[in-house]
Formats: sequence, structure tokens, C-alpha cells
Amino acid sequence: MRTTTIAASLSLAVLALAACERARYVETGSPEGIISVNDVDFQDILKASSGMLESLGETGVLKTAKHKPAQLIIGDVVNDTSSRFDVGELTYRMREQLVNSGQAAVVTTFGNTPEDKQAQEVLRREKFLKGETAEPLPDPDFSLTGKITQVKRTAGDTKQATYTFRLTLTNLRTGMEAWTKTVDMTKLGNRNAVGF
Amino acid sequence: MKHARTASLFVLSAIVASASLLAASGCGTVNTTSTRTAPADSAIDAKTRVNDLFQEIFLSAKEVRMNRTKGGPMEVQVDVENNGFSYRTFAYRFDWVDASGNVLQSQTSVWKSTNVPSGGSTVIRSVAPTDAAADFRLQIRRADT
Repeated sequence: MRTTTIAASLSLAVLALAACERARYVETGSPEGIISVNDVDFQDILKASSGMLESLGETGVLKTAKHKPAQLIIGDVVNDTSSRFDVGELTYRMREQLVNSGQAAVVTTFGNTPEDKQAQEVLRREKFLKGETAEPLPDPDFSLTGKITQVKRTAGDTKQATYTFRLTLTNLRTGMEAWTKTVDMTKLGNRNAVGF
Repeated sequence: MKHARTASLFVLSAIVASASLLAASGCGTVNTTSTRTAPADSAIDAKTRVNDLFQEIFLSAKEVRMNRTKGGPMEVQVDVENNGFSYRTFAYRFDWVDASGNVLQSQTSVWKSTNVPSGGSTVIRSVAPTDAAADFRLQIRRADT
């Protein structure tokens, strides 16, 4: 009787250990990460950013700019999905690669709502001290804008969500679209799961 | 009498099991037709270190092609075939290296997942992060299912 009780307790302990998963580090963007049916996951953002950068590289559009490297302003990228995340996660990854590899220079002192207001003020002051009246601001080649959308469907308990990341590069000298790219991600299931 | 009934039950079970197996193997299976009989002009030799034998048997890289893109960086395309009887999900990642063999750190080197139906194939591709990239490394890991 006692042996049976010990065996049963041991079995329960083993089962409990197997059921609980201890927290651990995983590589960011790894397929082991959690996959959410109704949300944009970090892996999705990394995949979208990678797809956009590959497309920019293969078309060579940045090499057509007047400036070398191309001067770029990052415009609005609208998150039109029900999933909450910062679109900067997408654009900053792209910026990092483009700027650090010398393919583009991001202008942070352009327009009425510059990314770096202080740097814009310094530029204006320098220009003023030199007695120049014209706007001293940089002369960007391209503007990057975009939108992230979703299409959701259900069949019984099964949910499907397609997230579409779309970016457009506008040539600021012609006002025409110079490059555009969409990256789709479709997820299907009835609940979130840990990847593989 | 009882023996004959057991035997007929066994035969019936075997027929049902075979039919189910046939139906399952045919479900979602892809037949592919192609006019190409020789490797592409840009096809290159590649070597694979096999750590997962099942992956090697069921998922195989049939052809590897490398080209320079219009924009300048290299592009690689790998045909992956699923020779198994079920849908295969796998993740892959390309790392690009320069002429000296050093890995180029890049936001494009991320794990991407895709799936191939039984008997089907897919093309996985990557564009190098800069013009300096000369070669690549591809890692593939399959899902358990």
C-alpha cells in the first residue's frame, strides 16, 4: 500500500515537472517563439523588415538618388490592425541596416514636425549666424510611408488572420512612387501556441 | 463459427485501415509538372551537413541558384522539395558572408517559416544585405509535425 502511494506521488511529480515550462532565453525572432493567431508577433515584424530590406536592395532604388548615400525621411507608417505594437520596431530595423551600411542617410531635421527638433534648431541658428536667410535644412531624396492592415476570418473554432505590411518610397523630386513592397503573413489556428 | 466471424472482422478492419491510409496520403498531395530537365545556368554546387536524418529524407534542397540582382547585391534561390507523405513546416535562415568568409551582420538574416505540401516544392530565397556579400549559409530546421 505504501509502495503504491510513493509510486503514485512520484508519477504525479514527474507529470507536474513535465507540464510546467521554465522561463528561458530564446533567440529573438526564433521559430521557437510564441505564435499568436490574433496578434502581430515579433517574428512577423522581423520577417517584414527583412522582406522590405531585401526588396530595396534588389531593386537598387536607393542608388538612383541625387545624393550618395540617398537622403531619406521616415514618414508615417500606420498600424491599421487590432494588434498593438510600435511601428518603429519595423522602421528602426530598416534604418539600422540602411544607415549603418551606407546605403541611406535618414534626415531627422526635416519639416514642421522633425524627429530631432533640437538638431533642427541648431541648424537654423548656424544659418542665422552666417547671415543666410534661406532654409538651411537638408534636401531629402525619398520619403518612406506605409500601412499595416489585417484580414481576419473564422470557420467554427478556427481563426485565420492575414497581416499585410506595405511600404512605399516616394521620390521627392518627382513626387512619384519609386518603390513599393507588400509582405504578407497568414496565421491559422484556434489558440496561440509555442513555436517549434 | 466464432473463428470465421473474427477473421471477417479482421479483413474488414484491414480494408478500412488501408482505405484511410490511401485517403490520408492523397490528401493535399501535390503533383508537379515542369519543362526544365537540366539545372539552371546559374545553378551552383552546395554541400549539406546532415544532423537531422528525417529532414534530409523528406525535405531536400534540389537546386541552388545564385545571381546578381539589378540593384547590385547577390540573390540566392533554393528549391526545397517535400518527398514525404505529409505537409511539412520548416524554418530557414540565410546568413551572408563576404569574400573573406566573415558573416555580415544584417537585419535580413532572420528565421522565416514556410510549409510545403506532400510531393510539392517551394523556392526559398534571400537577397544579400550589401554588394560586398559573396556567399551564403543556409540553415533549415523542421517542425515536429
